[in-house]
Amino acid sequence: MILFLAAPTIIDDLLLKFFSEQTVNYVIWPLIQVGAVVTITAGWVAYATYLERKISAFIQARLGPMRVGPWGLLQPIADGLKLLTKEDFIPENADRWIFFVAPYIAVVAAFIVLAVVPFGPDWAVITDVNIGVLFVLAVSSVGVLALILAGWSSNSKYALLGALRSSAQMVSYEVSMGLAIIGALMFARTLSLSGIVATQQSDAVWFLIYQPVGFVIFLISGIAENNRAPFDLPEAESELVAGFHTEYSGFRWSLFFMAEYTAMVVVTAFATTLYLGGWYFPFVYRFTEAKGYHTAYVVVSLIVFLAKAGLLLYLYFWLRWTLPRFRYDQLMDLGWKWMLPAALINIVGTAIGIGVIQGLDGVGGMHTLDPINVTGGLGLTPTGKIIAIGIGVINLFLTAGLLSLINRRSRDFNLKKQRRQIRLVNLPKGKPAVAPVASESQT
Amino acid sequence: MPLVPVPKPTFAQKLKRFFMVDLVKGMAVTLGFNIGALTDKDAVAGKGIYTEQYPKVRPDVAPRFHGAPRLNMDPETHDTLCIACNLCALACPEDCIDVIPMDVEIVVAGKPRRKKVLDEFIFDTSRCMFCALCQEACPTYCLELTQDFELATYSRAGFVWNREMLEQGRETVKYES
Repeated sequence: MILFLAAPTIIDDLLLKFFSEQTVNYVIWPLIQVGAVVTITAGWVAYATYLERKISAFIQARLGPMRVGPWGLLQPIADGLKLLTKEDFIPENADRWIFFVAPYIAVVAAFIVLAVVPFGPDWAVITDVNIGVLFVLAVSSVGVLALILAGWSSNSKYALLGALRSSAQMVSYEVSMGLAIIGALMFARTLSLSGIVATQQSDAVWFLIYQPVGFVIFLISGIAENNRAPFDLPEAESELVAGFHTEYSGFRWSLFFMAEYTAMVVVTAFATTLYLGGWYFPFVYRFTEAKGYHTAYVVVSLIVFLAKAGLLLYLYFWLRWTLPRFRYDQLMDLGWKWMLPAALINIVGTAIGIGVIQGLDGVGGMHTLDPINVTGGLGLTPTGKIIAIGIGVINLFLTAGLLSLINRRSRDFNLKKQRRQIRLVNLPKGKPAVAPVASESQT
Repeated sequence: MPLVPVPKPTFAQKLKRFFMVDLVKGMAVTLGFNIGALTDKDAVAGKGIYTEQYPKVRPDVAPRFHGAPRLNMDPETHDTLCIACNLCALACPEDCIDVIPMDVEIVVAGKPRRKKVLDEFIFDTSRCMFCALCQEACPTYCLELTQDFELATYSRAGFVWNREMLEQGRETVKYES
């Protein structure tokens, strides 16, 4: 353990004997980081499939994979081998070139986001881009392109319909996802993902507490954007065979599979960073870094981050086996009539709330803003934090009220209008269609 | 068209819907099963795993279950208990048993006698309906339907068991983990 904790310094010393300092800092270490992140994520993705099968089995009172290795632990390896040795089938009239390229676009778009995700402090993040949030949103939306290309080039109706559905779904949910983030960014005042975690650490508050509405919207939109159940319309087995990857087989299919699970890991990591404090956990800093154990601090933070992201990933599996699939129009309604207004209301409410907090500073001896603000965030004092939490709760009820106001005549979630239309067509209002039982017995 | 009376949602119902109380209830059910799968061993409380690991773990069949036939032997002398009386073949409603006897010369009290003993026993398991009437009919408790249930074979001929198979049991491939 001690050797493991001291390993970075030992390797650093070793590398400095052969290369210049710039090479070591800007080429070799990043390469090591990239290799580690890609390897670990690929392993995590492989075992996410195993976990999904296990958890779904447990929820349905089954055992799941049990035969390959103890408790089926080697199942992902067996699956990978099977997929590698399968025939790589290409449909006769497929657009071969696009058919080849599409899975790679999907995988690259999913994996490249990991470059900016802060897994932990110091060396546990590959690079800290100043516009990290924008980068994540921009790159993850490229994934849609891969789906459209895959669906189009397959020359199959199922694939094309799946691709159309998934692109429509991803585009519409990306809007509310991007808007939901803004509330958290108002508290963080930075687009850098590490910076967002740092502000949450200095405030000692997870943005989930300030932004309950934003978190829920982000999570729902994230699940919808990953095409996961209950929003798995593009892959609806009962209607579309397998959606956009119907015609894919073997390794190319497994690339799509990997892209889907990596996208899930990315969204959970992103949600953790924005709303669950990233690698920040109370008391970790005090017991490690403050006592001089820097590497232990990084490793513990890394574990904290992975645990939080893992919990969110469990929520994905959990929801999948709880909720049935949405109908397509319900999905679009949820996206445009509920998620989008809720995100906008959340932005306005949060903005007004922050304005109120800033205005209250200094009024009647109240101090809501901390004068010593290191991280560049909002920098709230305990009083300010309580006000901010209160505003978050008020936001929740405000959103509830306004949403029910906006959707009071919505057809799909509200049967009132349907009932009214039935009346207009058939019967005068107030007269029951079925005669009461009492009158029947009299005749 | 009959009207479906849909009552106007009350404020409490609206709140319940916005905060997704029913979703939380559903998730509690699934989480309960997930935890039950890990904690509830042998599905005692009704939330555990019911799956049988079949080739590894043999299932417990009911006591009244009738399976593969067997001809019992005398445990000491290892001679067959069958006296070739043909009662089982007569009892069989499907006519799936053929008892083929053989005459042997024996000496009883100094005099030569002829005796019927069992030569071959044919049991067609493909036609058997496992009613165990043959077992009821057997006067020496020789023919017995055991609880073994793995009777599948690769050919129709494999369903016809001869005396050796009935006495020794059929060879099956055992699962090894």
